[in-house]
Parts: sequence; structure tokens; C-alpha cells
Amino acid sequence: MTSTLRLRLLGVAFALATASGLGAAPAVAQKQGGALTVGLELDIPGFDPLKVGVYDTAANIAASLLLETLVKLDDNGKPKPSLALSWSSSEDFRTWTFKLRPDVKFHDGTPFNAQAVAWNFARQKDPKNNCRCAFYIANLLSVEPKDDLTVVYTLKDPAVNFPALLTRPDQNSSVHSPTAVQAKGDDYNRNPVGTGPFMLKSWTAGDRMVVERNPNYWDKGKPHLDRVVLRPLPDSQSRFASLKAGETDLVWADEFEADNILRARKDATLQVLSYAGSGAAVNAINTKVPPLDDVRVRRALVMAIDRKKMSQALTSGIARPASNPYGDGSWVKCKDDGALPEDPKKAAELIKEYGKPVSFKMLFTATPRGRANGQVLQEFWKQIGANMEIEQIDQASFPPRAFQRKFDITGWRIVDFPDPDVQMYANFHTGSPVALANYSNPELDKLLERARVTPDEAKRTEDYCAISRIINQEAIWFWTFQNTYYAIAKAKVKGVPKLFGGVIDVSNAWLE
Amino acid sequence: MASFVGRRLLYLLPVLLAVSLLTFLIASLLPGDLAYTILGDQATPEKLAALRAQMGLDLPIWQRYGVWLWDVLHGDLGRSFRTGETVLSAVLDRLPVSIELMILAEVIGLLIGIPLAILCAVKSGSAIDRFLTGLAFGNLSLPSFMMAILLIYLFAVQLNWLPATGWVPFSEDPVGNLRSFVLPALTLAFAEWPALMRILRSDMIATLQEDYIAMAKAKGLRPARILFVHALKPSSLTLVTVTGINIGRLIGGALIVETIFALPGIGRLLVGAIYARDFIILQGVVLFVAAGFVIVNFIVDMLYAVLDPRIRHGRA
Repeated sequence: MTSTLRLRLLGVAFALATASGLGAAPAVAQKQGGALTVGLELDIPGFDPLKVGVYDTAANIAASLLLETLVKLDDNGKPKPSLALSWSSSEDFRTWTFKLRPDVKFHDGTPFNAQAVAWNFARQKDPKNNCRCAFYIANLLSVEPKDDLTVVYTLKDPAVNFPALLTRPDQNSSVHSPTAVQAKGDDYNRNPVGTGPFMLKSWTAGDRMVVERNPNYWDKGKPHLDRVVLRPLPDSQSRFASLKAGETDLVWADEFEADNILRARKDATLQVLSYAGSGAAVNAINTKVPPLDDVRVRRALVMAIDRKKMSQALTSGIARPASNPYGDGSWVKCKDDGALPEDPKKAAELIKEYGKPVSFKMLFTATPRGRANGQVLQEFWKQIGANMEIEQIDQASFPPRAFQRKFDITGWRIVDFPDPDVQMYANFHTGSPVALANYSNPELDKLLERARVTPDEAKRTEDYCAISRIINQEAIWFWTFQNTYYAIAKAKVKGVPKLFGGVIDVSNAWLE
Repeated sequence: MASFVGRRLLYLLPVLLAVSLLTFLIASLLPGDLAYTILGDQATPEKLAALRAQMGLDLPIWQRYGVWLWDVLHGDLGRSFRTGETVLSAVLDRLPVSIELMILAEVIGLLIGIPLAILCAVKSGSAIDRFLTGLAFGNLSLPSFMMAILLIYLFAVQLNWLPATGWVPFSEDPVGNLRSFVLPALTLAFAEWPALMRILRSDMIATLQEDYIAMAKAKGLRPARILFVHALKPSSLTLVTVTGINIGRLIGGALIVETIFALPGIGRLLVGAIYARDFIILQGVVLFVAAGFVIVNFIVDMLYAVLDPRIRHGRA
């Protein structure tokens, strides 16, 4: 009886909804007002690209509130307009023209226009400024204003998916007010001025940053929240406790605090936001040093790894095994990525076949995580007769060691990015400073060159899968886990988009 | 007395100089190259050389120390290359938080430690004495990060009485400010009181066997007066020393406690600077901490003189 009653009521409700036109409206009305407190892991170092060089996740998250980029990603990972309304490219994908949104102003009243975009670029590119950020725009030759609302990007190497590369709220793509940067000088770093939906209210270093609704925001009716508070909470246990105790509404999390994520999943007052991104935690093998110059040894090492067990040991099983550099979050889906089977028996045979003792060193970060990672791999490899020595070095020593190829095997990372080209080309094309495997293969080079100028996504996918097959079969790099990004929030927090690149963008969030 | 203070102050100078030299050497000898850290992925050999020359990193270490010391003496501790903050403002912004934390921790430690020590000394050898000394020992072996998590779980998550993390400026909300310090200060105090209690207890037991105490008792003075006036003051010399030296331990504890409770103090600043290879901040913070430690111990030396006239008159 109750079920028929419910059905009838539902029918009435449906009829009413369609009659009044509610059927077309979103299921939940977005509530205006309220404040949201976000617990981050790290202190925000600041926003001036010349000072901080590269934004970390904390800076990215804050930047997504205060500053804006020309393009954003929609929920399918495709470019959508933000400060730019539309774009087009030349036939060779080397010249990109962006039409900018009119009537947008920075928080200090400075008009946003093509000159402002070009000025930001020139400042980062200027060799006199020695900006670390310049590394990431090495492919941009120039950014020129054509008229007030048209800006032209000229690229050295072509990029078919260039607008997607401008979407990350990072040191290069975020647009700052030129007047504010010039007026504030050294103090600009801690007093950012952008066009974003929120404006900086106050910032106590090490404690909290408070941002408030921008009343003149170009997207009328947004943002929904009045205020967002960002707090650095470095300890993972007390960060989670602050969420449980109601001091924060949303906290950053990662898979190394699997216990908190698993607990939150069972808690009805909480929700776990997770995003299976592209890219992976990766390792590069130096193919020029014995015994790793022998492909049998390299294959054996890769085949010895049981990723499920490794995930269990390090992250209570929540880390997702990776078999290629693209991951579930990428639009590159391969029927055959050429991954070697996990087969320790076969691996032991290959080592025997090689005939000489297999001993080498591997670089890890000087952290407990680095050590745990090393010990698990060491154990897998010991079982097939290979002897790995763990060498832990601090984070700052990684780039010099990597660039000078002073390693046998080193950990590295391919970050979640809307297009595979940038990182794949840099990591695998002959002659690139981060082609860490010291490996050169004309066929691989040809595929990488072709993939970056092929507009057809299906054809590009074929090329990227062929690239994955070569890398996997030659075992020059190997992948352990896919990138997964996490946040834990109170159940009432709504409207947080996918965590692209690990960035928790709450600029459009509301409280239910 | 004035000449005593003057002599002590003179000792202070070489100590501070040695501290600054050590700080500079340690920061210089740490692995990782400042120029590399700043340039990162763009570190070509030419750019590295140019930046090193620009920052004076190519000079011999003694010369660099000289330049640094000269700047420090003129009040210029440098600027963080990462955030653009001056070292002085970075430290001064966070110092009040750490000082408040340490004072509260030490006060709570003493408030727990002194009464229990007196109780144990009076009832020395009794069941209660054995129980309390045992408790102190057990408490000592519980690491502070563990204690912090337990306190957060109980008082913040379960009972919701006190905040788990964070800090409110005293000027904005004095009650909120004190509330935010309760759990961190308790965490540190729990590591403090056992040592304080054990030291005072044994000194007090020795004092209580002195002839003049027997004399006081014979005169019919009230036991409370004997304990607090006649016995406590002469028994507290070691306690004062330890309290001074403990400042060093408290700073070490603050690194952990400020991180767990997300307090914006100099402990957090130091940890952050180490992770970010921000040598300039690191050097500045260590110099401040070391100078603070030296000065506190200078004050402790002064207190001796107050407590024990023999020291004041150089007859000890």
C-alpha cells in the first residue's frame, strides 16, 4: 500500500514540476551566503611568480579563488571559456588567438585586457628576472596584444590542445593586475590582486588567509559564498580532527592518510571527494649504466613488482596500479598499452639469463614515505635476485642529480595535466633535459612529434598508445600508481568540481 | 650586584658571537645549494654562476660570514627569497605565539610539579610518593606527539570543549586565545612536570633533613610555613636551573606541538624553512632561538643570586 501511495505522490509531484517548468531547473537550488573553511597541508608561500617560482598545491588552491586564467576545464576535462571567450589557431597549431571577455576589472579597478595578459607573460619571460617559472613557458615565443581584447600566442613547437594548457591556476597562467604588481613591489607576493570571484581580506602567515566575495565579479550571481578561509594544517591527524570537530568544512587529503579517507567514507556527516587523474608516480631507469643497459634486466625489474601488494603495504590498498603514463583520468585510452606482465618467476629467469650480478642504487626522497617505498621495491627485487641499494636525498637535490643523470634509477612524477604532450615530449624525446632514461629511439621521436600536431583525437590516441608500448617493452621507465587526488568535506559542501591536478577549487561552492 | 650583572653581560657577548658563527656554518654546510634552489629547473651552469656572484655565494665562507654579521649588526637579517618577507618581520610576527606557548607550558608544568614534589617529599617513601614518582616516570615515556593526538581526540573531537587546531590573536579575543593554547600548552607541560617534580622532590628531601628545619620545628612554627618559606626557597636552586635549560627543550617540543596544533609560531616557521630550503629564514630563526636561550639562562644566573646570597657575593 505504501509503495502505491508513494508512486502516486511521485506522479503528482512530477506533474506539478513539469507544469511549473521546474523540470528544467537544476535539482538543487544553490544557496547563497555563508563561509567555508578549508584546511590545507602547506603554508601558502605567496603569489608573485618571480618570488615563489612554482606554485605548490596550496598556492594553486588560493589562486583559484583570487586570480583567474583565460581558460578553465569543464567536468569532462575539455577547455571552456573563462577570461577568454573564444579561441582559434593557425593551421600549424603554432599561433593561437584568444578573444578576451570585455568589461572585466581587477580587484584594484585596473581594466583586464590584452595588454595585461601580455605584460604578465613578458615579466615571467624576461631573462633579467631569472624566474624559475620561465622554464614552463619555454615553448612560448611571444604573447602580443592585437587589440584591446585580442591576444596572440606564438609557440615554438606546435600544440593542438593549447587552450587546455592554460587552465591550471598556476604561476604562469594566472593573470595578475599589472598596476598592483608594479605599485607593491616586494610586497605584492603577499598582496595578490586578480580578477577572481574572491578578494584578499587578510592573511596571517602560518595561520589563515581570509578572502571575501568580490561584489563586482563579472559572472553575476557568483560566487555563492560570502567568505572562504584557508588554513594551513600540516599534521594529517589533527587536520582530520579539525574537520570532525567542526573547525573546518573541507580538508586536503592524500592516499598516504588512507586511514582517514576510509573512516570518512563510512561517516554519514562527511563526504570524500576523489578524482582519478591522468599521469602517474613514475620511475626512470638510466639505460646507459650497467647492469641497467641490458633490456632483460630492466624488464625483470618491472615484472617483479606486484603493484596490488605494494598499494596494500603503503596505502591500505587505495592507490590504483598504473600500467601506462596516462591513467584513467586521461582521454588517452589504450586497448594495448604494452604493459609487461607481473611475473616474478619469469623475472628471476631473465636475471639468471643475464648471468652477472645485478646491483644498483635507486634515489628516493629523504622522507619516511621515500624509505617505505624503497623498502617495498627492494623486497620485490631481492626475490628475483637483484640487489637494490636505497639512497635517500633531499627534495632540492633531485633536479641536479636528474639533470646530470647521476643515478641508476630515480623516482619522478607525471602530474595530472589536460594534455599528455608537454610531459611526454619532455620525458621521452631525444635531447630533452628531462629525458631521464638516456634513451634514444627514432621511432619514439617520430611518434612524439606527430602526436603534437595531429588534431584528430582518435589518431593521437593511437600514437600515444604506440608510445606507451615502446616504453613498456623497452622498460626504460616504469609506473607504480596512478594519480588520485582527495579532499574530505562535510556533507553540506556542494559544487566543488573535479580536483584537476589536485587543485581543490571552491570558488563556485555553496553550503546546503 | 651591579658588577655581577656587568660581568655576566660581558660573558654574553662571546657566547652570542659563537652562536651566530655556528648558525652560519651549519646553514652553509647543509646539503643543497641556494642558487640551485632559487633557479630550480632552469639551473644552467651560466645562470648558476651569475646568481652565485650576485648573491655573494662564490666568496669564501669567512668573508660571507663577515658580510652577514655586518648586516645583522645593522639590524638586517635578510629577506626570504621565497616569500619576500623580511626575516625580522617573519620572526617577530610569530615569536609572541611561541613565547606565550612556552610560558603557559612552563607555568602549568610548575603548577603540577611543585605541589606534587612537596607532597612526595613530605610523605617520602609512602605509597603516595611511590605512586606519584611512578606516574611521573610513565608520563615521561609518553611522547608528546602521542599525547597531542590523545588530547585532541578527547577534548576536541569527542567532547568538543576546545579547538583542535588554530589560534586567535589575544587582542581580538582573549578567551579564545587562551582556549586555543590549552591543549598545546598541556601537551608540552605533560613532558615538563615529571622532570621538575623529581628534581624538586629529591632536593626537598635533602633540605628537610637540615638542622635548621629541625630547629624551626622545635620552635613550633606551623608546618606550612616551614615547608613553603624555610624549605622551598633553598631547595629550588636546581629547579630554577632546570627550568632555564628546559627552555631549549620547550623550543624543540614547540616544533612538534606547533605543527600538530597548527599554531603560527617560530617552530612552524623553522620547520617550513627547512622543508623549503629557505636558508635565510632558517639562519635568522636559529639565531633568534639561540640568543633567546642564552638570555634566559642569563636571567637564571641572576635568579641564583637572588635565591642564594653566597653567589651574589662571590663566596660560593
